[in-house]
Amino acid sequence: MCFKNLPIEFDAHGKPRLRSGESDPFGTSRAVETSTDPPLSHDKIEELLSRNGHIKNVDFDPVTRVAGALAFHAVADLKEGRIVEARSVATLFRGYEVIMLGRDPRDAIFITSRACGVCGGVHSVTSAMACEMAFGISPPPLGVVVRNMALAAEFLYDHPLHLFLLAGPDYSEAIVRQTNPELWERATRTPAPHASLHGYRTVAGIMTDMNPLTGKLYVEALHMTRVIREAYVLLCGKYPHPQTIVPGGMSTTLSTSTFNEFYLRLAQFFDYSKRVVPLWDDLCDFFYDANPAYKRVGARPKNLVDTGIWDHHDAYDATFANAGAWGDRRWATPGAIVDGELKTTDLHAINIGTEEFIEHSYYEGWDGGRFKTDPIGNPLSPYHPWNKETRPKPAGQNWREKYTWDTAPRWDRQAMEAGCYARLWNTAVAQKIAPNPYIESTGQSLKLRLPAGSLPEMELEWKVPEVWNAFERNRARAYCLPYTALVAMVNWAAALDLMKKGETRVSTPFEVPKKGQQIGVGFWGAGRGWLTHHLVIQDGVIANYQILTPSTWNASPLDPWKRPGPYEEAVLNTPILETFSKPDDYKGIDILRTIRSFDPCMPCTTHIHTDERVISREVTTCACGVDD
Amino acid sequence: MRVLIGGVGYSYLRDGSLGPAVAADLAHETWPLEVLVEDLSYGPVAVMQRLEDVKPPFDRLVLVGAVARGRPPGTVSVYRWTGPLPDESEIQARVAEAVMGVISLDNLLIVAGFFETLPREVRVVEVEPHDEGWGEGFSPTVEAVRSEVLATVRRLACEGDVEVARA
Repeated sequence: MCFKNLPIEFDAHGKPRLRSGESDPFGTSRAVETSTDPPLSHDKIEELLSRNGHIKNVDFDPVTRVAGALAFHAVADLKEGRIVEARSVATLFRGYEVIMLGRDPRDAIFITSRACGVCGGVHSVTSAMACEMAFGISPPPLGVVVRNMALAAEFLYDHPLHLFLLAGPDYSEAIVRQTNPELWERATRTPAPHASLHGYRTVAGIMTDMNPLTGKLYVEALHMTRVIREAYVLLCGKYPHPQTIVPGGMSTTLSTSTFNEFYLRLAQFFDYSKRVVPLWDDLCDFFYDANPAYKRVGARPKNLVDTGIWDHHDAYDATFANAGAWGDRRWATPGAIVDGELKTTDLHAINIGTEEFIEHSYYEGWDGGRFKTDPIGNPLSPYHPWNKETRPKPAGQNWREKYTWDTAPRWDRQAMEAGCYARLWNTAVAQKIAPNPYIESTGQSLKLRLPAGSLPEMELEWKVPEVWNAFERNRARAYCLPYTALVAMVNWAAALDLMKKGETRVSTPFEVPKKGQQIGVGFWGAGRGWLTHHLVIQDGVIANYQILTPSTWNASPLDPWKRPGPYEEAVLNTPILETFSKPDDYKGIDILRTIRSFDPCMPCTTHIHTDERVISREVTTCACGVDD
Repeated sequence: MRVLIGGVGYSYLRDGSLGPAVAADLAHETWPLEVLVEDLSYGPVAVMQRLEDVKPPFDRLVLVGAVARGRPPGTVSVYRWTGPLPDESEIQARVAEAVMGVISLDNLLIVAGFFETLPREVRVVEVEPHDEGWGEGFSPTVEAVRSEVLATVRRLACEGDVEVARA
């Protein structure tokens, strides 16, 4: 049994079915069981604000060093050192789902790519997979392998950005000296335990080179984005919006030289990882040693969800019926972890457990009756993406009611976190990854064996953490660097094997069905975790299209049961550890470290409304994210 | 003198696409060997890295694009970029935007300026957009100044000691 809140049970063969005797099985009036308590009501917060001078509004609008438009409202009790209210606000409407209606399904591959200025390729692939399922085609093995390599490359662009350009500066000398001078002083006399691996004698040395713009680690990360962008372009033609990803595979012409040139660039990430991982280990452990309360910064229950990514070329057949089987063979295992326990790795269960709610979002409800079941008869909620409709309804911000353009996705009606660390975690505990020379799942950890480069061969081991917080998110992100590079390596070797065997096809011919209804879903992932595109085609054109991104999960608002979304919950659990002598000096670094540890990636094309549901102006900014 | 002409902007955003459209027009013309025309709409950090690579470096960069600054639509502004940079937190924000995919003429100048990869002479031709909605073609206001923009870019690229040798 993997659901405790949804009215779904499993028969003796493991087949899900609706529990009998439920008059309104998916109604939201039923209480939910979660490990999160509802926060204080806004009325109570207003009362506290009016009665206590030390309780302050702390608003970040925008939150800087994140992709796109995110604002965050918090109320801090500066005397008690705690946060009493936290609200995450996606300030812009994305609108892609509305744009897709009535179009040829192939358009989705190219249009949805524009949802993100970093990870356009992931949207293209997810969209192509949804088309493949709906068209009844699948890519040849080399097509699958090349997609894996390309999307690993895209993530190798993403990870250094997070570690050194976006979240990283929060741990730099420039910030630490300003917000916690006592920590900086301690760092100058704290030897770095892994000095022999990364070359920094003290923790302060690491912090100095993390300084934005001038720090060596900052500048090196910028350089590494170039190395991997070149590798990506070899496979996909251009970055960030490839034109070479098609239903049934890729349209790229490839040769062994392409693969050799790719490898030259990929190999640089092996040595890079050997320095970056121990450096982040030292940084995280330094904060814990300096003050164990840092373990509570950004803490929340170990509730994570991921669809898995990087298909095994012998397994992926693009059918929904076999999604459980091909999902289990992925190089990153799908999974839903609740309170630290892996509940399922089955893509069908992950899919049917997913719902989106809009009680606190600027949308209208929908009927939700289009599909009672998925294509193999499993029950579907009216709030499931295949049933959801995007019906924007702009309104004024109201903390008691609606306050964001993000929706509230929930799995089994619980707030789940998406991130590349979810794929690391699932893969580590599920022990389903295919045997290979580089990555080993032990049940409690993931062992990563990096080949020799300029630096000798090295084994790194990411262990499931005892606590889940901002530091562990960043640490896990660092381990995602070698993990991703090794997935690319495994697929690079597979590509050469296929070429040797003469299996050089990268695509499968197809026709777009012109009559009737077809549905499909792309289960894939962005650099930041979960990505799904749910597609409904009617008579050859798109009748519904729903995109669910990692930041939709993470930035989500309160749900119908008044439970906060992941950013909100993590901020509510964060102690104020910053040093300041008077309230006006308070910068909110602990809140910012928490939010940035999730690597927020907010909406792309901004739509400004003049009146209800009329999109009057669009301004393309960047980045994927939030809803719609 | 080596000159790079670069268009900057998004595709399919009406007037917002002026930069790439002008670059495409100019790329079809015949230029002296010392003059190169490129669409530089692939991200300020990548452009900065491209400029860093060129040996010997370009002597002059002529950038063209639509930038909304509240002027009357269709206003053509031509200026020499002299390199004033905002404070470090603002530069950091522009770099963050750049790596996240924002295409912006201002960001390109700031990012490449900060990392000191701009050629010694930088000229900019900007047009105030009227319509940046999704779609092809320009608004009549911007269409009306398109030939002036093309002529200005040609002049800026070739004035001084660039030897003009059109076929």
